[in-house]
Amino acid sequence: MFQSVEEVQQRFRQARYIASRRLSTVVYLAERMARPVLIEGPAGVGKTEMAKVLAEATRRRLIRLQCYEGLDEGKALYEWKYAKQLLYTQLLKERIGELIEDTHSLPEAVAKIAGQDDAFFSFRFLSPRPLLQAIQADDEVVLLVDEIDKAEPEFEAFLLEVLSDFQVSVPELGTITAKHIPLVVLTSNNARELSDGLKRRCLHLFIDFPPPKDELEIIRLKVPEIPERLAQAVVTAVHRIRALELRKPPSVSESLDWARSLVILNAQQLDPTLVEATLTMLVKYEKDLERVKGALDKVLADLN
Amino acid sequence: MDQRILEFIGDLRRAEIRISPSEALDALAASAEVGLRDRETFKTALATTLIKEFRDLPTFDRLFDLYFLDLQALGEGLKKALGPEDPRIRDLLDRLMAEEGIEIDPLTELLLWGQGTEMELAIRRGGEHVGLERLMYFLQIGYFSRRIHDRFDWEAIERDLARLMQLLEARGLDPGRLARIRNYLDLRLEAFRRLIRQHVERELERRAFRQGEKLTREVLTDKPLFALTAEEVAQMKAVVARLARKIKDALALRQRQEEKGRLDSRRTVRKSLQYGGIPMELRFRRRHRDKPKLITICDVSDSVRNASRFMLQLVWSLQECFSRVRSYVFVSEIAEVTQAFNTYPVDKAIEWALRAAPVDYHCRSDFGYAFSRFCRTELESLDRKTTILVLGDARNNYNDPQAWAVTHMRERVKGIIWLNPEGQWGWGIGDSVMPLYAPHCDVVRECRTIGQLAQVVDNLVHHWWRRGR
Repeated sequence: MFQSVEEVQQRFRQARYIASRRLSTVVYLAERMARPVLIEGPAGVGKTEMAKVLAEATRRRLIRLQCYEGLDEGKALYEWKYAKQLLYTQLLKERIGELIEDTHSLPEAVAKIAGQDDAFFSFRFLSPRPLLQAIQADDEVVLLVDEIDKAEPEFEAFLLEVLSDFQVSVPELGTITAKHIPLVVLTSNNARELSDGLKRRCLHLFIDFPPPKDELEIIRLKVPEIPERLAQAVVTAVHRIRALELRKPPSVSESLDWARSLVILNAQQLDPTLVEATLTMLVKYEKDLERVKGALDKVLADLN
Repeated sequence: MDQRILEFIGDLRRAEIRISPSEALDALAASAEVGLRDRETFKTALATTLIKEFRDLPTFDRLFDLYFLDLQALGEGLKKALGPEDPRIRDLLDRLMAEEGIEIDPLTELLLWGQGTEMELAIRRGGEHVGLERLMYFLQIGYFSRRIHDRFDWEAIERDLARLMQLLEARGLDPGRLARIRNYLDLRLEAFRRLIRQHVERELERRAFRQGEKLTREVLTDKPLFALTAEEVAQMKAVVARLARKIKDALALRQRQEEKGRLDSRRTVRKSLQYGGIPMELRFRRRHRDKPKLITICDVSDSVRNASRFMLQLVWSLQECFSRVRSYVFVSEIAEVTQAFNTYPVDKAIEWALRAAPVDYHCRSDFGYAFSRFCRTELESLDRKTTILVLGDARNNYNDPQAWAVTHMRERVKGIIWLNPEGQWGWGIGDSVMPLYAPHCDVVRECRTIGQLAQVVDNLVHHWWRRGR
């Protein structure tokens, strides 16, 4: 368990993640209060990454549930391995025959077989999906529910139930209660409004694009071979491009990609031809591309 | 401290941020976890438990600053106001008091030596029983400042100060220096009075935060669209944006709510092979509900300009959410503007549609001509999934209404919804041909105010698209 907010910041740093004071405070509180954290923010600012780093920093196992349209309880919680059950019954036909050999009526035979229920409805035939895995786990885990906004509202309601008491009931087996309360991180890209209930339950964290100072540090940390001056130019240029009101402004991961590609190309400074050639690393839509190209003078003004 | 936090939550609620009791409890628990040592950490602890919408963060930040005053910054400000004389004179007075061994009123002591923090706390105590909860308006600031002011014993202070000055004079200080000391003391008095007023001002802002805004919005919602000034139009933009969001959410949700349809025997048999031919898992055909198509036709003539502005904003937002919205504008010639609306940002698109779309803005509006042209060119593309949304006052300037065109359109589509920015009492009077068009429309609504527009949108969301149409 973290002892202080500073410790969170430090441990994240060791795991090569620049955590703001705000983020660290929320993480600290999440662990202390055993509450899920809901992270919202534009794509590519390190929401998913944060969960991974959290797992690393707390030495917990990461269990990831990727949400998508059509995700249902079965795929998130558990499924019976029908095929395996069937195969076992086929293989064990003789044993079953022996079992009911000495019975004289159908009800008697049914009762005998019913007595063996447990053999077929046991954990052996249960395939646990991420949610059940997280609850069943013997060790402590971080459960990442990625892009919860992609799943249907019904699923959200179901998830809310699981997250509030951390127990799951499998009708054939009974209720399974979590041994350790997992640290839960949910991420959302805001494709739709999440339900109030879920928001109420969670600690809320909004991650925005980092300020230039932090982004510079991120680039230095992740692309250590980049020349200092180039790194600064990259950050300034990216921030100017973000201000252009694009359909999809470049994210942190994209500016990292850009920085890496500039290093590979052995660039020492941002000259316009080079920038134009590598711009697709940053900007992914045709229209945005045109817009940035049109404003290239402004973007690169007094950078070199 | 808990009491203070709960009071703060009350302020947030007054500023229209929804906070549930369980969230309030979380906030208390979280603040207990992090303690008060660090202001920023404390603030984050409250924000993460209380604020769940990004758009509420600025409100939270402002109210937090008002409520949990940065006392250190306050003290700095005070020091600056008192100037560099401060430490020297303070030493002098200190020595004097020690040597003479005089007793002074605690309040005078506060005035002479107190830091910003202590003064602020004294003012807060003074303000406890003056009925600050009644403070709602700007005009009350003077009154309440006076009331807090009167709770301090100013005579005692004056007496103490006069005695100090006498003592100093008796010690033979030169008049210039005496005047400087007196001046310094006055400055401190003045600073204290100013602190009182600032305290009341802050209290007002905190209590009435966004109340004015709310009031304006309520008034504007019911004001006829044509009477709104340009500034008011700008204020109402947020409201329309919310409406569009509502439509988007409702429709997006509906598209996902495909219930399971009939058994898909082909896929079920294939899946059963895995289980030795036993259909363990049934597969169903997904019932695809048709995505609604929307065509908007908007009158952009001068007479309905304000209304068109809102409609166009709504249209623009809708178009951003759905691939199958097509938008037309007309005065008498009709033109499709879908492409432009997809390209331009909202403000530019609206200005463009109102001024520079390929229609003639100098003629009088002619609904009949516009509809007949629309029929001639676009009738082919209409189908039963399409809803047509018309915005216009149906004032046809005595031109041929050509109602047959609307009939043709109606035969082809799911329905026609007509929003009229003119009051119902005017329909059919003068050159209004609304009664001729109305029988061919499924819904005709008066849409004179934003409030009515909101109702119409609600209606569409809950009834029109919901009934599987």
